[in-house]
Amino acid sequence: MSTEAVSPRPPLWEINSRVVVFAAVGAALYAVLGLISFTIPGTQLVDVRPAFALVMFFGIRFGPIVGLFTGLVGNIVIDTIKGYGTFTYWHWSVSNALAGLLAAVLFALLASRIKRQAWRLIVVGIIAELALALGFLFSITDMWLQGSAFETWLATAYGPLLVSNTLVALILTPALDAVWEPIAARVGR
Amino acid sequence: MDVTPRYLGGDSFLGRRDPRVLMLVPVFYLVGVARIDDVRVILACALVALAYYHAARIPWREVRANWIFILAIVTITVLLNSVFTDAMQIEATKTAEPLFTMPLTDNAVSAATLSYSATLLIRFLALAMVSFPIAFCVAPGDLGVTFARLKVSQRLAFGVDLTFRFLPSTAAGMQEIIDAQRVRGYDHPRTSNPVKRLRSLKPIVIPLTVNALIDAEDTSNAMDLRGFGAKHRTWMRELAFDRTDYLVLAFFAALTVALLSYKIFGSDVVWVP
Repeated sequence: MSTEAVSPRPPLWEINSRVVVFAAVGAALYAVLGLISFTIPGTQLVDVRPAFALVMFFGIRFGPIVGLFTGLVGNIVIDTIKGYGTFTYWHWSVSNALAGLLAAVLFALLASRIKRQAWRLIVVGIIAELALALGFLFSITDMWLQGSAFETWLATAYGPLLVSNTLVALILTPALDAVWEPIAARVGR
Repeated sequence: MDVTPRYLGGDSFLGRRDPRVLMLVPVFYLVGVARIDDVRVILACALVALAYYHAARIPWREVRANWIFILAIVTITVLLNSVFTDAMQIEATKTAEPLFTMPLTDNAVSAATLSYSATLLIRFLALAMVSFPIAFCVAPGDLGVTFARLKVSQRLAFGVDLTFRFLPSTAAGMQEIIDAQRVRGYDHPRTSNPVKRLRSLKPIVIPLTVNALIDAEDTSNAMDLRGFGAKHRTWMRELAFDRTDYLVLAFFAALTVALLSYKIFGSDVVWVP
């Protein structure tokens, strides 16, 4: 006979010690792994960044505050380490944050009760893709901040980002979720 | 890969400032120069940024690689978006007389195009100059208290502090994983195929993430045992603005107001000689 201790889910917006630590770990992981990226030529410094999957994974697994913090602080640290300037692309950091937050909220609303592993992974992939598409709509602020036209934003910023990070959202986020699921069950989370 | 925060400007004028000044100045500067189109105005702003950067006394040899990287990326971006193609679609560049046409893309390049490209390039570099002191003149241990004193939630400010503490161990963990996989004969494939490249990262991303999360459970439990969040948190470091801090902030606030007024009431257009 085996028993699994499952603690009740804490409220979505609570900031406890666990949220703080997992947010910090998420941001540090995103910052370190986010340095493994390559810029797409001809775009507005859009990176193909496999580590972006972490933002959605942390949001889905540990809640909206963790997702938001991982995207925001992680992206700020990447920009700082790369030398782009801490706040130069603040609206892209906010877009990252929104993607993490939306992944968490969508998961809580739509998929948190799915029990079958296969279905769950498919839904996680779809939610990650949706969060990516919706969260990065905030980068439309490029039009006001950099004075670019809508077509320019679409062709050199949002479009390339969506295309290049779709694989990341669809492959890596469910893979991370699949690996973490049994460990989470074992530690009762 | 070295991601450890480097504290390089400790004894400089900016190193002696309250860290909040170093956080707020780039925000003021960014708001001010965000949509300046006139290359002469942006040049004047860049001189201010240069003086500010100089006050940080960051040793050149320590940040040479960062500057080479930024210069390369920014130059390529500006050339591709405004000289090789008309991605920025600036009105003034459409009406100006073309000087020559770029090969391959047939993009007409005028004096306005070159002027606007120079504006973009200088703006990016100036923004990098005012942002470098955050990375190199704020002691990593001061980040948490800085955000807390900027009215960020105490717990999230502590999260920022923790993030910077976790950076070196996370990078070291990644290197250990790569080394362990190499010792066992697994070498990461070098390929230009994006799907294969992505799949090749899975053996690093997954163990690193799982290890970090398992360690995080221990850290979280330790914090709970020490009563984290039970009462208002106090910080060892006390921050207080002095007169010089107020003067620096006032100068950049005035510069921002002047630039915003110029954009709203002045005639900020692409300058053509």
